[in-house]
Amino acid sequence: MENLKYSEILAQNQILRNTVKGIPYRISVLSNVTINSLKEILEYSLRVNQINPSIELGNYDNIIQDSVRYKDSDLVVVFFDMLNVVDSVSTFFEDINDELYNNLKNRICAEIDIIIENLKDSPSVIFNSFSSNYFIPNYTQKTIVETLVIELNKYLEERKNINISIINIDKIFTKIGIKQAIDFRLYNSSKAPYTLSFLKNYVTAINPIIYKNTGKLKKAIIFDCDNTLWKGIIGEDGIEKIDMSISSHFGKFYNKIQQIAVFLSKRGVIIGICSKNNESDVTEVLLNHPDVILKDEYIAIKKINWEDKTSNLLLIASELNIGLDSIVFVDDSSFEINLIKEQIPEIVSIQVPSAIYEYPDFLLQYITNYFNLSLNSEDAKKTIIYKQQTERESDKKNHKSIDEYLASLNISLTISVDDLSQIPRIAQLTQKTNQFNITTKRYTENQILNMINSVHDNVFAVSVADKFGDNGITAVCIIKTDLQNKKKCNIDTFLMSCRIIGRNIEFVLMDYIIGWLISHNFTTVTAKFIPTKKNQQVQDFYSLNGFALIKKESDYKIYSIELSKYQPKNISYISINFKELK
Amino acid sequence: MENIKSQIIKVMSAVFEVPIEDITETSSVDSIDSWDSLKHLNLILALEEEFNISIPNEEVGNLMNYKLIELIVNECRK
Repeated sequence: MENLKYSEILAQNQILRNTVKGIPYRISVLSNVTINSLKEILEYSLRVNQINPSIELGNYDNIIQDSVRYKDSDLVVVFFDMLNVVDSVSTFFEDINDELYNNLKNRICAEIDIIIENLKDSPSVIFNSFSSNYFIPNYTQKTIVETLVIELNKYLEERKNINISIINIDKIFTKIGIKQAIDFRLYNSSKAPYTLSFLKNYVTAINPIIYKNTGKLKKAIIFDCDNTLWKGIIGEDGIEKIDMSISSHFGKFYNKIQQIAVFLSKRGVIIGICSKNNESDVTEVLLNHPDVILKDEYIAIKKINWEDKTSNLLLIASELNIGLDSIVFVDDSSFEINLIKEQIPEIVSIQVPSAIYEYPDFLLQYITNYFNLSLNSEDAKKTIIYKQQTERESDKKNHKSIDEYLASLNISLTISVDDLSQIPRIAQLTQKTNQFNITTKRYTENQILNMINSVHDNVFAVSVADKFGDNGITAVCIIKTDLQNKKKCNIDTFLMSCRIIGRNIEFVLMDYIIGWLISHNFTTVTAKFIPTKKNQQVQDFYSLNGFALIKKESDYKIYSIELSKYQPKNISYISINFKELK
Repeated sequence: MENIKSQIIKVMSAVFEVPIEDITETSSVDSIDSWDSLKHLNLILALEEEFNISIPNEEVGNLMNYKLIELIVNECRK
C-alpha cells in the first residue's frame, strides 16, 4: 500500500469499483482540514479486501454539525487537527496568556464532548490524537502548544466511549518523518496539510479497525519449519545442527519468530505447521530441542508430510473449520509461496525475507495489519479448545451412534440474557462467525451495548461446556421486539462458533429461545435468512425448526412461526443453566 | 519526451477518471468535466509523486491544461 503510487491506486480503484459489490460499508470523514485525497486511497484499500466502500467527506471545518449528520455511518473518522486550531488564534501561540489558553482549551474540550455525545451510538469511531509535531520543537522544554496537546490527548482518552479508537498519528510522523508527512505549501493554499505518503500510512493504520468491524481479520498463521521457524534443514543438517538459539548470530531471529508465535497463540491466534519433513523429526524438535520456544502445546494443528502444501493447507482450513481467507501462511521457499499465491489466492502468503534481520519486523507488520491482538480470556484458551476438538473427533470413533456419542459428552449450556460483562465476546462473535451465522450481521461493542440497554432488544449469550472442557461463550442470539406489535418479535441474529457445530446445540437453543419468548408473552416470531458464500449449512435451519417460509427474495428469505405451533425437539442429553440480568 | 507525455496522460486519466484515449494535448479544465478544485489538488499530488518533483506554489494554480502541465513538469525536472 505505502509502496504503491497514487496514480496506480486511482487506476486500480476504478477497476475494482466494478467488481466489488455487496452491502456498502459506510465511512464518513469529518475534519477541520481538507482531506479529500484520503477518499480514493481508503476506497482502494477496502476494495482490495472485498469490502464495498461508501465514503463521504464532511464539510471543511464542520466537525460538530457533521457529527450529527453522519452519526449513522458504519465508521466515522475524525480529523481534529491542531494546525487549524493554532491558526484560529490571532496571537503568536507561544505568547498567549493563561486566560486565552484556558479559554481555548475549554472550548476544544467542550467540542470533544459534543462530538463524543453526538457519536455515542455510532458503531465505530476513529479519532486522531492531537499532535504538536507540525510546529518547531524546543528541545529542552515544553512549548505551549505541546502542553495543550498533552492535556487534550489526556482529556480525549478519559472521555472516550467504547466505540472510539484513537489513532496516534505521531507514530506515523515518526515512521515517515514530519517533512514527508506535512505539505505546508498545500496547507497554505488549500488547507490540505497531509501528503500522499501520510495518507497511505494512515489508511494502513486504520485498516485493522475496519477489518475487525467487517469480519475480515485473520484467524490462523501457518508456518513452514526449515529456515522459517529455525535456521537449517532437519533432513540435511540433522536436528543437532539446526539453529534457533537466542544467543547465536542468525538463530536469534528465528528465536524471535517463535516468541512472536507464542505471543499470538496466547491471544487466540491459531498457530499451525505445514512442512515437508518426517513428522517424527519435527515433533522431536518441538518436544525436546533445547532452544525451542514454540513448543508443541502452542500449536493447534500440524501437517508434516511429503504431500503438496496446497492440499495440506486446504485440509488445515477444513479441519479447523475456518475459511481460507482467514489464513496467513509463512514459508522461506519462493516456489511454495508462489504456488499458494496462485492456487489459493485467498490465503495471505508471506515469504521469509532474504535479509534475515528484517524477518521479525516484516512478520510483525503483517500481524498488526491482519490480527486483532486484544487479550480476552476466551482467546487465551483457544489453543486448548482446538486441541480438545481433535480429542473429541477421536473419541467419536468409540461410540456407535452419534446420539450416543453426544450423550456421552455431558454437554451443558449456560445461557445469559443481556449480560454487560460479555459485550466484548458477543461483539467478537458477530464479527468473526461466518458459517453458522444466519444473518451475518456484524456488530461493534457499542451496538451490542445499546441493544442490551434497550428494553426492546434481548441479547442471549450461550457458553458451552462438556466433559473435555469449557468452550466459553460460543453462541449468540439477538431478539428484537416488533415496535408496531409488541406480541411479535424477530430473530435478528442466531449464530454459533464453528467449534461447537454438530452437537445439536442449535436445536436445544431454539427450544429454549421459543420457551423464553412464550413466557414473555410473545405469540409470533419472524426470522430472516441472508445467504452468504459461507453459510450454506444453515439455509434450511428455520424449515428444520418448523418455521414457514413467508417471503423469498434473491438475497434473503423470511420465515415465521406461531409460537403455540412450535414443536420442541426436547433433546434430553444437553442440560441448561440460565441467568437473567435485566 | 514521449515517455513523459504518456506518464502525464496516465496520471490525468487516473485522477479525472476518464479513459486514457480521451486525454490529448488539447485537454484542459474546460474539456474535462470532472476537473474541479479538489481533483486539481489530487492532480498536483499525483504529478509530484509520479515525477518525484515539487511544483512551486505559484505554479500550482496555473496547471490548467495539458500543455502547461507538460511545460512545468519538464521545468521542475531540470
